[in-house]
Amino acid sequence: MGLNSQPSLGTSDRSLFDPRFRKAGRLIAGLVAVATLGACGAGGRSLLNSEVRKLNPSLLAPFPFTFSLDRLGFFFLILICAVSLPVALFSVSYVRRHYSAARQKWLWALLFLFVASMAGVVAASSGFAFLVSWEIMSLASAGLILIEGSSGDRRHNLFIYLLMTHAGTAAVIAAFLVFLPHSHSLDFAAIRAAGATLPPGVRMALFLLAFAGFGTKAGIIPLHLWLPRAHPIAPSPASALMSGVMLKIAVYGFVRFAFDFLGGGPAWFGYLVLVAGAASGLLGVLYAIAEHDLKRLLAYHSVENIGIIYLGLGASLIFMAHNARVWAALALAGALLHTLNHALFKSLLFLGAGAISDSTHTVDLEKLGGLQRRMPVTGAVFLIGCCSIIGLPLFNGFISEWMIFRSFLGGSTLLNTNAQTLLPLMAGVLALIGGLAAACFVKVFGVAFLGRPRSQEAEHASEAPLSMRAGMLLLAAACVAIGIWPGGFLRPIVSLAQSLVGAPAAPPETLLIASVIPWVAAAFLALLAVVSVLKRAKRQTPTWACGLPGLTSRMQYTSTAFSKPIRFVFGRVYKADRKREVLPADQPYFPGSISYHSVRTTSYERLLYRPFVEGVVAAANQLRRLQTGNIQVYLLYIVVTLVSLLLYLRFAG
Amino acid sequence: MTIALGVLQVVLLVIGAPLLRGIVGRLKAVLQRRRGAPIWRPYADIWKLLHKEDLVPPSASGVFGLAPLLLLVTSILATAFVPLLTNSALLGSAGDFILMVYLLAFGRFFLALGGIDGGSAFGGMGASREALVSSLAEAPLLLGLVAVAIQASSASIVGMTQWALERNFFNISAVHLLAFLALGIVALAETGRMPVDNPATHLELTMIHEGMVLEYSGPNLALIEWASAIKLGFMVGLLIALFAPWGMATTLSPAALGLAVVAMLAKMFALAAALAVIESGIAKLRMYAVPDFLGVAAAFGTLAVIFTALMKR
Repeated sequence: MGLNSQPSLGTSDRSLFDPRFRKAGRLIAGLVAVATLGACGAGGRSLLNSEVRKLNPSLLAPFPFTFSLDRLGFFFLILICAVSLPVALFSVSYVRRHYSAARQKWLWALLFLFVASMAGVVAASSGFAFLVSWEIMSLASAGLILIEGSSGDRRHNLFIYLLMTHAGTAAVIAAFLVFLPHSHSLDFAAIRAAGATLPPGVRMALFLLAFAGFGTKAGIIPLHLWLPRAHPIAPSPASALMSGVMLKIAVYGFVRFAFDFLGGGPAWFGYLVLVAGAASGLLGVLYAIAEHDLKRLLAYHSVENIGIIYLGLGASLIFMAHNARVWAALALAGALLHTLNHALFKSLLFLGAGAISDSTHTVDLEKLGGLQRRMPVTGAVFLIGCCSIIGLPLFNGFISEWMIFRSFLGGSTLLNTNAQTLLPLMAGVLALIGGLAAACFVKVFGVAFLGRPRSQEAEHASEAPLSMRAGMLLLAAACVAIGIWPGGFLRPIVSLAQSLVGAPAAPPETLLIASVIPWVAAAFLALLAVVSVLKRAKRQTPTWACGLPGLTSRMQYTSTAFSKPIRFVFGRVYKADRKREVLPADQPYFPGSISYHSVRTTSYERLLYRPFVEGVVAAANQLRRLQTGNIQVYLLYIVVTLVSLLLYLRFAG
Repeated sequence: MTIALGVLQVVLLVIGAPLLRGIVGRLKAVLQRRRGAPIWRPYADIWKLLHKEDLVPPSASGVFGLAPLLLLVTSILATAFVPLLTNSALLGSAGDFILMVYLLAFGRFFLALGGIDGGSAFGGMGASREALVSSLAEAPLLLGLVAVAIQASSASIVGMTQWALERNFFNISAVHLLAFLALGIVALAETGRMPVDNPATHLELTMIHEGMVLEYSGPNLALIEWASAIKLGFMVGLLIALFAPWGMATTLSPAALGLAVVAMLAKMFALAAALAVIESGIAKLRMYAVPDFLGVAAAFGTLAVIFTALMKR
């Protein structure tokens, strides 16, 4: 029942390919929507009980190629559906307005393939099915990036994306292969059974491989390099899916390995994840503040939010290592809820960026401004997205961050000095991340939507068409619904987290937040009604401009100016490469022109990636000596191999 | 009964907050050998502004008018966490300090947006500076509260107050001193007081909060002024509840409540006097020295958390 969405997604992209069925496109889209909703409904029911649904197309494949959905899979399937449906709705107008008919077909086909492959990853129940779906997911997203064009710059960024994502995939494949001698099968049930009895060394290797492999896909610092390059250049619906959903699939993979297969491990697993989360969260938000390309900024915020999710996962692993299962359930539930929340608000924000670029043909914050008056609905939903991502109460981000906060507090109950000090201190880190994110989104919303327009395009912006608004409104409604009525959403997630960490009872904190938030929301609305009585009729009048003819948009704070104090204070983080050219050079005091150029966040490439790449190239150059092109030498290699194998068999066997 | 008392506490704090502001202003005047405005002056200001016309810049959108409303509403909601006369508050036991801190962030976020929405240079300048100060103030605020919460084994303000009430002044730990210093510094920053911000100036080089609200007038400005008065009252009330709650009524008898009122007023007056001394005695910090000041608060907060963990063993 729950899998119905899969085949129908598959047929629909084929149908869209076929010109005869162009008219039927809408009908099929409707069917896909119904099937997706059906999957959501079935999934919602199945989250509460632990029944497993199976699909086994192994007859078609030489390897065990099985799909089945357990509760964790269902949770992520719901996440995929909940984001894909509004994104598809948004795309209906967006795609038609932006691309030629031929590209439209490619885009729809790849979009559906992308969604279906992500559903395949979370539904896979054998390593082979998992990896095949995983690879289709990576390639489909790369194809989506190419739809916008294939300039040299774009190809370079795409190459980095593909390279890094495949390095991550290699680590994931290695993780499955390390399991093989112990489980004798790539079936998840066998892997799970083997996971309980692994020797510590293998467990460590597995954890590190899964951490690096899925961490690359999730974009934790310093493996994030591809993320701010790939997300901004994809079409907006694709960026929404990549940032909103694909990163979550990586989180799914990590949770599957670390919690389901391995069942936790020594405490340092948790500390590793915790520190990686803290670093990603802090650096991600700091890099985001320095950006003024809206989509790059949002991509860095994905790094930040993945950091927050990893903070929760790390705390959960630490609690598991100290056998505090109820606290572990709280931290894990917080991380899972934040995964869902981030999927909702980040795709909302990316769609908002799409609506902005649709209307103004730019996502450069320095060229925007005053859009709230010109695009009121887009502005309102974008504001909801901003409130959600910075974790304001009555919006969904708050609920999950609150749960992670409370689990950090719970660290003080452990009988271990490291955990007792580190976990509560992480509350400070999370608070700093939240504060900086708030600063960043004041900038984003303030500069893009408020004040005066900074360019002709922004001046003449108009509201997004209906289907785009509808897609964004759906996501915004979901953000608010989770924010003011968390109880209904928390129950299945907490029970899922409980089953993953083996907690005997649900953490009481979740009941607390579920009961208090609706009251706060009610009080908030009541007070708002009371206080608005104090307002008077307003009159528009120009601002006094100190005697000048009037204020212009050039007098406003720009995005760069807004973030300057924070960039100044955290100057060490950015290590900006500044170039200042004064022309002509012999007249420093009366120059004809001054050009100023500043590039940030290059230190990873310089300090980490460049030496690595150079090492690989040097090793390859050394290895090239083996390849002489002379057939006698190759024959010699074969003989040497044969003899050494025979010797090995003689003496080792 | 407790609900009625909770509502009464909120109303008292919301109505009484401008008075506290007036008292601080008067004490400052006395310290500076000026005559000073009467302590009821903030009420007169708010009343006057409420009856004026609401002037709105032509570039402003709906956010401009929404921001003061949301600021006032979230400030009022935050006061519902603070126990004043008895150790109970409307949200004091059900809600926890995280919710309280983030409610304050809610109002701040929208006020900064409102500042930008005016479309002038000063609004953006104020918002940018406010973003710096408030983003750095959040971590020490939460760390200080986390330390106290761990000591008290409770995340609710009422639970923390209860823990302090059960001890006498010399029995509460050194951690409290550190946490108090952290929260005290944050309170100065959050309420826009010296040495972080000067509420009495409109000099463009220095203003933070005043820059943000420069385009506001009439009822909008009244709401903002009132909200910042409430925020001051809230911070004072919070510091008292967490670190010196003694004197709160344990029974609902008139005598106990009367004593609680007197004790609360005395403590509030003491903090107001301390604030006046600080504001009169210290020059405003340079803009880029403020992060260091808040860094000191963060260090206090971090130490408080570490000592708490070590002491629990």
